[in-house]
Amino acid sequence: MRIVHYLNQFYAGLGGEETAGIGPRMLDGTVGPGRLLAQLLGDQHQIVATIVCGDNHAASNATASQELLDLARGAGAELVVAGPAFGSGRYGLACARLVAAADAAGLPALATMHPDNPGITDAGTAPVVAAGATAREMRPTLQRVAAAIAKLAAGATLTAGDGLVVKAARIGRLVEQRAAARAVELVLRRLAGDQQSTEVPVGGFDAVEPAAPVDKAASATVALVTEGAVVPAGNPDRLESARATRWLRYQIEGVDALASGEWESVAGGFATTAANADPNRLLPLDAARTLEREGAIGRLHGEFMVTVGNGTPVATARRFGVEWAAELRKAGVQAAILTAT
Amino acid sequence: MPALRRIVHEIHSLEISAATRYEQHHLVVGRSRVEALFADPALASVRVHIAAPGDPVRIIAPLDVVEPRSKGSGGGAFPGWMAPVNRQRGGDIHVLRGATVLAAGFLPRNQEGLIDMSGPAAQLSPFGRTNNIVIEFDRADGASWQEAEIALRRGLLRVAVHLADAAVDAAPDTIEELAPPHRPGTPTGGLPRVGVITNLQTQGAFKDVFVYGRSMAGSLPTLFDPAEIEEGAVISGQYGHPALRNPTYLHQNHPVIAELRARDGRDLHFAGVVLCPEPVEQGDKELVSTHAAWLCRAAGFDAAIVTKEGAGNADNDLMLKVDALEADGLTAVALYAEMSGADGTGPPLVAGPRRGAIVSTGNYDQRVTLPAVERALGGARLRIADAEATAAVEVPTAAILSALSPLGAGRLTCRSNEEQPVGQKSVAEQSVGQKSVDQQLVGQQSGGTA
Repeated sequence: MRIVHYLNQFYAGLGGEETAGIGPRMLDGTVGPGRLLAQLLGDQHQIVATIVCGDNHAASNATASQELLDLARGAGAELVVAGPAFGSGRYGLACARLVAAADAAGLPALATMHPDNPGITDAGTAPVVAAGATAREMRPTLQRVAAAIAKLAAGATLTAGDGLVVKAARIGRLVEQRAAARAVELVLRRLAGDQQSTEVPVGGFDAVEPAAPVDKAASATVALVTEGAVVPAGNPDRLESARATRWLRYQIEGVDALASGEWESVAGGFATTAANADPNRLLPLDAARTLEREGAIGRLHGEFMVTVGNGTPVATARRFGVEWAAELRKAGVQAAILTAT
Repeated sequence: MPALRRIVHEIHSLEISAATRYEQHHLVVGRSRVEALFADPALASVRVHIAAPGDPVRIIAPLDVVEPRSKGSGGGAFPGWMAPVNRQRGGDIHVLRGATVLAAGFLPRNQEGLIDMSGPAAQLSPFGRTNNIVIEFDRADGASWQEAEIALRRGLLRVAVHLADAAVDAAPDTIEELAPPHRPGTPTGGLPRVGVITNLQTQGAFKDVFVYGRSMAGSLPTLFDPAEIEEGAVISGQYGHPALRNPTYLHQNHPVIAELRARDGRDLHFAGVVLCPEPVEQGDKELVSTHAAWLCRAAGFDAAIVTKEGAGNADNDLMLKVDALEADGLTAVALYAEMSGADGTGPPLVAGPRRGAIVSTGNYDQRVTLPAVERALGGARLRIADAEATAAVEVPTAAILSALSPLGAGRLTCRSNEEQPVGQKSVAEQSVGQKSVDQQLVGQQSGGTA
């Protein structure tokens, strides 16, 4: 099988954050992790080309995945393999979008990333093989991927046993007892010693490891971002008031403060009267400008990004987070203040 | 103090006519009297309608829902609003079971929801199965929305008492005695003492719940007499997430209290009720959670069921409370709605406890297909779907009033289907096969349990 392998700029050896903005390109033969993958694949399958894109470019340009797909096609790909992205959100999103586009266009594709990678939900109908959380698990990950490729080449379907990431969908249904009665049942079972029963798994939530403090705040570019649904009055771009499907960005270059009447919150989850009387209390532009003037921060980023957190599914919010991080990285922002409601 | 008795009159049908009267399961609503009970400078006019189970009717933007109740000519129902708090507690309260009075219409801070009286959504809202007296309204020129909302709330409570007054002399269908919770130290014969903590939303205008007419914002959790909740001491002024809302009706008929009473003396001792605010600041959330756990322990609870109102913010209150209870050695179970995306594959909770156990009240994001209806009340358009109010629409369960009742009124839950590849088989099946999921919901119902 002729395989085209997708890597981000880092694993392609083109640099780190400083080159994360580079656009789609193709390299001959195997690069980086591709060498080990080729070794594991043996002579049966050949990596004919490596396609690369910077993480920020891939995460923030809607056309990137199509351009990468065109490159893969041009190299005569019979299968696209993307990753391993491990736990990296932007890279995972790029891999997921590429394999989704390939699969939708009828070109077999396979991505590999950690099952908790926020990008995973964008993989569409394409299979995703589990990778470890970090590059320390490169070899076992690529062993799984090589075995999965061999299986796909033989025309077989991947299963959880092959490392295929499967997620059970939790589907609503009506049951005999109302929830209050089930709660009493559950309490009584637990009091009788059953510590396992629960209708929703308990624990296992994301713990976000804080990034290191900003080295020199006085020279840092700082961005404001919010899930408080602050938009120009009248909501011209129609941000949802609940259950967001997208995020928006607005320019604040040269703006000293958000004037009441010119900006408003359309969030549906709280009483917005106070926020609309002074939108700076939701997006603290006035205070940030003061800090900028005083030299406490280097510069305030020229735009802010906004969505609504109210009722937005966790998976969607995680994807927004990856996209925002890419945007901010691309713009050279070192720190962001996220105001929540 | 006498124990409270519910004198129950079951309502099977409604009619609007000249004068209010009750006859054998049939309630006649006197239009002019009901309109007069809404008289307020903040309201220009009100219109009285009926929506009964099975009617091809959609109620758009429902606000609060109240069950008609009265303590007779001496008054006493809805203390803090319709009666002084220092009145005679207990005694008889007349209940028009199966009837509600509810307001519907545009209110700026109301997150728009709906009630369908037929079709799949009728199975999901408790108010798709009740005989509803629906009040549409017009705000008076110059009145604020806050004033209009207060006028509606007072009107609903007045009408609730007025309607139940009509049945005070009629022979009841049943009489239900409501024993008070067992005091701490009462011998239990080995049964566990189980109580309930009910968090009330306290986020300011249009997001508040009233206890004896006052907001609980700033309060510490308190032990509360469940008989007083029956008498209407807890009134909703909260218009957030429709499916996650606890209208006054559901406080009057608090499902967890009812289920604890149902097993009292047999499997458990009903230990009591704690009401608690849902503050917005982290430090305050920690304070009320810690204090609620102490209070439950001081009141001799072995276990507590914890309920909430609202979405992510309120989920944090549940989390902190369950963790605090379990850390204090009590057994805790929380009622959560899941928010796992339309296909159900996302993380189900925004914030969940580290210990304890969870009952699911359904998935907020799951889509439900609603057929067209003949008539709409409460508005001409369904803004969340950008559609005519009567149109066939697809909405998230989140939009159906009290469909995910955090007080446990509903029979929805979520279960994992067979594992399938991430990505999307699931989405594809869902969009094509939405119908089958809905039928699953309804199919279960038709086999089922009223």
